[in-house]
Amino acid sequence: MHSLNFLVKIYAFAYRNYIFAKGNFFAFLEILFWPVVGLLSVGLMTKFLNLDKNFVAFVLTGAITGGVLQVTQLDVSYSLLYDIWSKSIKQTFLAPVTQYDYIIGSWLIGMARGLTVFVILSFFSAKLFGFIYPGLIISIIFLTGIFLTGLMIGMFVCLLVMLYGQRVEVTAWSLVALLMLVCGMYYPVNLLPKPFVIIAAFIPLTHFLEYYRSFYGFSPVFTYSLIKGFVLVIFYIILLFILLKYAFEHSRRTGMILRLSE
Amino acid sequence: MDNVIVAKSVYKTFKSGFINKKYVNALKDINITIKRGEIFGLLGPNGAGKTTLLNIFSGQLLPDKGQVWILGKEITTNMPLELKTRINMCSGNPNFPWSLTVEENLKFFSLLYNIHGSNCATAVDKYIKMFGLEKVRKTRYDSLSTGNKQRLALAKSLINNPEILYLDEPTIGLDPDIAKKIRESILRIHQETNMTIILTTHYMKEAEELCERISFIKDGEIKALGTKYDIMKLTKSENLEDAFIELSG
Repeated sequence: MHSLNFLVKIYAFAYRNYIFAKGNFFAFLEILFWPVVGLLSVGLMTKFLNLDKNFVAFVLTGAITGGVLQVTQLDVSYSLLYDIWSKSIKQTFLAPVTQYDYIIGSWLIGMARGLTVFVILSFFSAKLFGFIYPGLIISIIFLTGIFLTGLMIGMFVCLLVMLYGQRVEVTAWSLVALLMLVCGMYYPVNLLPKPFVIIAAFIPLTHFLEYYRSFYGFSPVFTYSLIKGFVLVIFYIILLFILLKYAFEHSRRTGMILRLSE
Repeated sequence: MDNVIVAKSVYKTFKSGFINKKYVNALKDINITIKRGEIFGLLGPNGAGKTTLLNIFSGQLLPDKGQVWILGKEITTNMPLELKTRINMCSGNPNFPWSLTVEENLKFFSLLYNIHGSNCATAVDKYIKMFGLEKVRKTRYDSLSTGNKQRLALAKSLINNPEILYLDEPTIGLDPDIAKKIRESILRIHQETNMTIILTTHYMKEAEELCERISFIKDGEIKALGTKYDIMKLTKSENLEDAFIELSG
């Protein structure tokens, strides 16, 4: 019974995010316009620079990852932001919901939208720039890592919003760009200054990118990419669930949720 | 009659500002017992602490000091999820996810209260019909009139058939005819279900019509508590409006 209730509430949030996304012009831009524009600009640049096909794959992997990650994490961030924008957060949290319900429910739609972006960008990359995927299983493993990273970033945005209110909502759009910069979006991380290389080692996305790029002949800067990536991302997700629970309790003490509904 | 809400010596202070911290004592030594099946009114001027108290009773705010029991369970530090399935709330000037229609909003909130499958469809239809929302069931929330928004808020607050219903200024900003219909709906629901209703309001007429007992709050403190006759007697007033002016002074 308990697990059925959990599934029903996950479905509730997935249903709500789906309705929001359906017929929303901004959702269309998020899925199609920005990722495709980003991919085309980068792809054309690789043509202009006349890069070797493995270097093209290296750079395009960054562009595809950026698009998929942004869309996936936005849906998780939206789990709270939709409620804040419509000032209905008080109504939602009056109901018997936990942080698992709204995060996971929204993430399901995030993954569906992320997968759509992946398919669209794969199509354009293959047709226009001759990008060849290293294989289905490898791509599924890589995508799983990206989806989990999207969950992690979205949860971090939710945590910040819960603690500091609407003024930090800008992190929903800026955090991925910042993270991609440190994780080696279009370059290997050892090009970064030493302190940033150390930071990059603690970000799961670095390891997922290195794992995927290793199939194009690029040796990873760090060892055991896949294991490190999954261990880190799962550790951060568990930590963020605990912190979100704490932040929710804190907001009940400070009245933050009620203020966000006014 | 058993007590469904017991508050003992409840205090709440709000802090604001980082450097120059400001403190507002929203509630001071609140003691209230509310019985099952009664309509209890919380009256008082703006900023008196009525909504703060209602938010504590609904588990959305934690008190700084004191103890609160809802349906026999203490919620002073933790609001059990099971308890949340037994209460609900409707606020004046309500807000819902704007791009969801009336039907979608009711479905979403039904699911949050674990009402799913055919029960969900039945509940949605029942409350759409009960509050005369048939013509706007496919209308997005942001396109609804103020009256229909309030009807939707009431419909949503009943979706889980709660044992305790909190109504925070349910008729604020409504035209008199719509406000009258909302009051009639509240009375009808109470007569049909014997639900415990805790109501905050500015309108004395509303309190007179609906409430069996009233607590008058000012500056976070209870100034008077009893039936409307007790309060009129205490203030030597002929009606609740005069009593309100007397107690607010």
